[in-house]
Amino acid sequence: MELEFRHRDYITEEKAYSLPRLPAGTHPLSTSPETLQQVDLVHKEKEENDFFDPLRKINEKKEVSFEDFQDEEITGGPSNEASVQSSSKEWTSFKKILMQRFSASKNIPLSSISNAIMKTGKVTDKSPVDSHLEELDDPQKFTEEGLKVISQREYVLRLYELKDEIALSWSKKEHVTSLKLCIRVARLLMDTSVVQFYPTLFVLATDVMDMLGDMVWQRIRQKAEHREDGKFVSSLPDDFEANSISDDAKETCNNWFSKIGSIRELVPRIYLELAVLPCWRFLVDNPMSSLQRLAMMTRGIADPIALAYCHLYMVHRAQKLPQHDLGYLVTGINDLKFVMMRILSLQETTCIISLADRRLLLSLMEPAIEYMMRCIYKDLNQVQVRDVIVGLGLGKDKSHLFGDCSCISVILHHLLKELPTGLICANAMSILHLIECNIDFSYDQYLNYKLLGLRLCENISRVNEAMALVDKVIQVISCYDRLHEYLEVLDAYVDIVLHNQMHIYLNRILNEIFERLCAKGIDKNALSGLQSFLLKLVTHFDHLEDILSLSHFVDILDVMHGSSRNIINISILRMATRNTCIDDPTIIHFLFEVSQVLHDGTDFSNIRNNENQHSARLISRFVNMVDYGRDFERNLSFLVDCRGAFGDMIELKETLVHSSNLLSIKLMKESSNLFAFAKSCLTFSEVTIAAIPDHFRRFSLYLETAEVALMGGLVSHADGLIDSALCYLQDFDLVDGLRTTNDTEANLSLICKLCNLMIVVPGNVEQGFLDGPKKIFSFLDSQPWMTSKLKIKGMCALISILAAFSQNAIPLQLIPGKVIGNHELIYGDPTCSEEILSFSRAIIQKIVDIVLQEPSQATSGNLALEGCSSIASSFRVRTDILTICSRLLEIAELSLSSDDRYLVSTKNFVNTCQLCCQEDGHLQNSESMTG
Amino acid sequence: MSIEIKLSRSNRIYRPNESLEGKIIANLSSSISHQGIRLTINGSVNLQAILVRGGTAGVIESFYGVVKPIPIVNRTITVQPSGRIASGVTEIPFSVILKERGKDNMEKFYETFHGSDISIQYLVTAEVARGYLHKSLSTAVEFIIESEKDSLPQEPISPEMVFFYITQDTQRHPLLPELKSGGFRISGKVCSQCSVLDPLIGELTVEASGIPIQSIDIHLLRVESILIGDKIATETTSIQTTQARTFLSDGDVCRGLTLPIYVILPRLLTCPTIFAGPFSIEFKTTIVITFKSEQTKKHPKYDPKTPRSYMAMESVPLELVRKK
Repeated sequence: MELEFRHRDYITEEKAYSLPRLPAGTHPLSTSPETLQQVDLVHKEKEENDFFDPLRKINEKKEVSFEDFQDEEITGGPSNEASVQSSSKEWTSFKKILMQRFSASKNIPLSSISNAIMKTGKVTDKSPVDSHLEELDDPQKFTEEGLKVISQREYVLRLYELKDEIALSWSKKEHVTSLKLCIRVARLLMDTSVVQFYPTLFVLATDVMDMLGDMVWQRIRQKAEHREDGKFVSSLPDDFEANSISDDAKETCNNWFSKIGSIRELVPRIYLELAVLPCWRFLVDNPMSSLQRLAMMTRGIADPIALAYCHLYMVHRAQKLPQHDLGYLVTGINDLKFVMMRILSLQETTCIISLADRRLLLSLMEPAIEYMMRCIYKDLNQVQVRDVIVGLGLGKDKSHLFGDCSCISVILHHLLKELPTGLICANAMSILHLIECNIDFSYDQYLNYKLLGLRLCENISRVNEAMALVDKVIQVISCYDRLHEYLEVLDAYVDIVLHNQMHIYLNRILNEIFERLCAKGIDKNALSGLQSFLLKLVTHFDHLEDILSLSHFVDILDVMHGSSRNIINISILRMATRNTCIDDPTIIHFLFEVSQVLHDGTDFSNIRNNENQHSARLISRFVNMVDYGRDFERNLSFLVDCRGAFGDMIELKETLVHSSNLLSIKLMKESSNLFAFAKSCLTFSEVTIAAIPDHFRRFSLYLETAEVALMGGLVSHADGLIDSALCYLQDFDLVDGLRTTNDTEANLSLICKLCNLMIVVPGNVEQGFLDGPKKIFSFLDSQPWMTSKLKIKGMCALISILAAFSQNAIPLQLIPGKVIGNHELIYGDPTCSEEILSFSRAIIQKIVDIVLQEPSQATSGNLALEGCSSIASSFRVRTDILTICSRLLEIAELSLSSDDRYLVSTKNFVNTCQLCCQEDGHLQNSESMTG
Repeated sequence: MSIEIKLSRSNRIYRPNESLEGKIIANLSSSISHQGIRLTINGSVNLQAILVRGGTAGVIESFYGVVKPIPIVNRTITVQPSGRIASGVTEIPFSVILKERGKDNMEKFYETFHGSDISIQYLVTAEVARGYLHKSLSTAVEFIIESEKDSLPQEPISPEMVFFYITQDTQRHPLLPELKSGGFRISGKVCSQCSVLDPLIGELTVEASGIPIQSIDIHLLRVESILIGDKIATETTSIQTTQARTFLSDGDVCRGLTLPIYVILPRLLTCPTIFAGPFSIEFKTTIVITFKSEQTKKHPKYDPKTPRSYMAMESVPLELVRKK
């Protein structure tokens, strides 16, 4: 094959073909100051939201709707179907929580009352008129037969059975039987002997009541919608009035109330009337008076647990009424308060119930208070809110709320939970005073302080008298002995402190925390409190200096351990790396220690763990941002320290290499005297690269470092690095991974870069100057995973190198006059030229082979064109080369359509090249002729 | 082969000045001939055999007497003269005036009442006479009489309330020593006149109690009296007990709160108070406080008429009326 390289003038070509360039004001990847801030803000906001989201979101929404409704007239409660549904959903989830919260012991001793549940046997249906007295009044038959014990599971199963039985007898139209069974279930609620089981029992029993209530409602409704002969009249609208109900339906309704009214015992009578409470609507337009009466009747229940849960059921059933005022709820809470006061005031010595039992009692009553409060404040306007507060005895009148009032901690707690944010913010001080006055064992006082803080934070800008408030709170918590209580309360107020820039308090707080830490050490609860507090501090400040200047910050940080420590460390690093560079040695030292602790506390062997990756990234970012300015030695030694300290982090090593490369470039730019020092940087890079297990990264870092070395004219370094890169190619078989297209393409472009470097870097003397390109050639040829497209590209790159070797002048030069590049060594040497040509032949042959072997026609067409244009641009297009080009074009023509733009332009290109060659030939001929 | 009576009102309540309307429904497998379909309305006060206990000074007087029922109404009308009834379901409507002016003035139409000794009952009976060879078909159904609206008094402006105090000193029966010494005071008020359709209302407050209260019950009692010869036999029986306060477990903590009294009066078992010559029906309310003691456990069921040492009680007469 006869070959001849074309003469190329790379500089002119570049000028001719490259697009016009304009200087850009900013680097597209550099972070401009404005965008940085923006990102910061978003980041900050996001973080805070993450922290508070669930509560805040809801309350914000509440606030909005609250204001929206202010101008409208507010009816007492929800009247549409949707709100009834939502309240029933709320009830369902509440029941679930209730059952989970109180799980009872497995066995239940049955008292005489509960024994009834085990009596199976059919209730025979006597004629309703003459026997209704005796059948509704038979509990006394179950006199004491000694205590029996059954398992909770059995008990629950039996209740389910009863429920089925009730539904079954109802479906058989035996309504009285259903009622009787239901009364039997309701009687179970009289038994509070196993208090822990009571909530579960309540949920199951009220389930049965609800079912019966709904069935009765449906039955009467049906009667109201049908005539006596069974003909359908019209369906009842949702807002029907009592006078539109037929006498027949009213009669049935009255019957139900009479039957229930004749139940002797108070508790089942109230429960069943509550179950059929909505049916009052068939009789009267305003059933509220019944609700009020029932609320009063509950006062007859002496047992506090039974009383509380009865109120709970009342609230639930009242939601079924289209509208209900809140009087009964306020009465109910006041009654419960009265009972709780009694429990709280019992003297330990005179009381039969122990303190622990009384605590349990109160905690069992809490869900009722919670649910009642929630229902009170569901949809109220501002005036009503104040009315209710006065109604609960927490204010003399509407304008003087929360005076010197006595309340019960647990009630106060749930009130605080539900009060609108605006009201809390406006009355912060008086509420604080109220909390201060109310200490009892129904609820921990510090939790109320905490809740107040959290509620205030919902609208931090509207908090009145923030200064006095914070001052008071800090006074209070200063007396706290337990660190975790101190922190819990503090945590709720930190936002207010920070928001109002009351930084004077911070040192005091930190000192107090430190004192407690020294005295008692840290436990798990305190740790999480501390974490939250420090996190808020760190996210609040913009500069690390500000945080470090706080007293004991570092000491406190050192006490922390485990994941809490990691979280704080991460946030410190995140905050520190927000800025562009870190140059203060003390801060660098601090951050280095922080990173070290984070590194030691993280298991980096688990690469897939996202959190670990996150901390690795942060540490790398920090290392990357460290800048000692002109103190280069210190900078390098910092990098060395990092390598030692963060040995487990592979990612970081890459950063270290980049940093040290950057450092070398700075050194080289700075002064030629520092070359020796630059060499040590390069050596550092080289050694560090070797420790990176990922071959691909190693390869790319070798090339990067080689480039840096070349920039400084450090040829021997570059040579060594390129050698290492070539070794990588040879060892490639051993390498796993990088099978994805991205990786392989990136790999190819690195190979192209390697080719470029080989033009200037002197080749290995022993192996011959073409050793590098040959290695690349055999690598391309031998890798089975390489697609033919990549192979062609690689081959074309090799041809370009060879072409460059045969040019007289090339624009690339190392340090002119000092170092002689590979190209300069080779050019003009006839043995070298011969070697180059023979190697070129092999490559051209390979290109043709690759094209021919490609199974896909379309691909082979494109490959042919690529190979063809590369060959045509490097060689003179005549004789053999012309034949090869024409052949490749033919292949392309076969597989591509004739108007394919690539095909057309390649054809034109080949033609032009051919013409040029002919002209050249003519010229040469005429020259020789004239010569 | 059967007949039944279906009244026009499902609650079967009629007033004396109204017509009793309805239909006789015959469900026959084959057609039959009959000698007339008759309807009989019968209302009477039945004064049942009574065993009267009581008397004075520990002497137990008991006498047993069957008092003749007092008829209120007894009238028969012919709905259809003799003829045939076809097979299948045949409906024969009827309408009877209950109180014929001028004619039937035997007795007042008392309201229906089912007591233990006295019962006032109204029946309508349908009979299909079929001659001597066949047994006649008949059926009866009870209907309920309520007073005429016209004759009712105007609604009183306010319900009459009676105040009561129950203390250890108001009790006429012996009390447990600890009750005597501990003392108690329960006050309240309760209706003394009440419409039969309205609930009995009132309220009570446990102001003080030396020992815990087991329960507070409101008993509704009826007092039935019958004139036998020259003696009046009176019996008081319980109609309904309604608990106003219950004691479930330890910790009777709720003194000082006002409890409502709310008792729905059971229908048929109550009626407006009657004072007739030969008999009377009266009612009263008894508030019974049961204190917690060892004895309470031994006697789970008790009779409000026999006071026990661990109980305190107060009775208030109750006049039931029917309002417009």
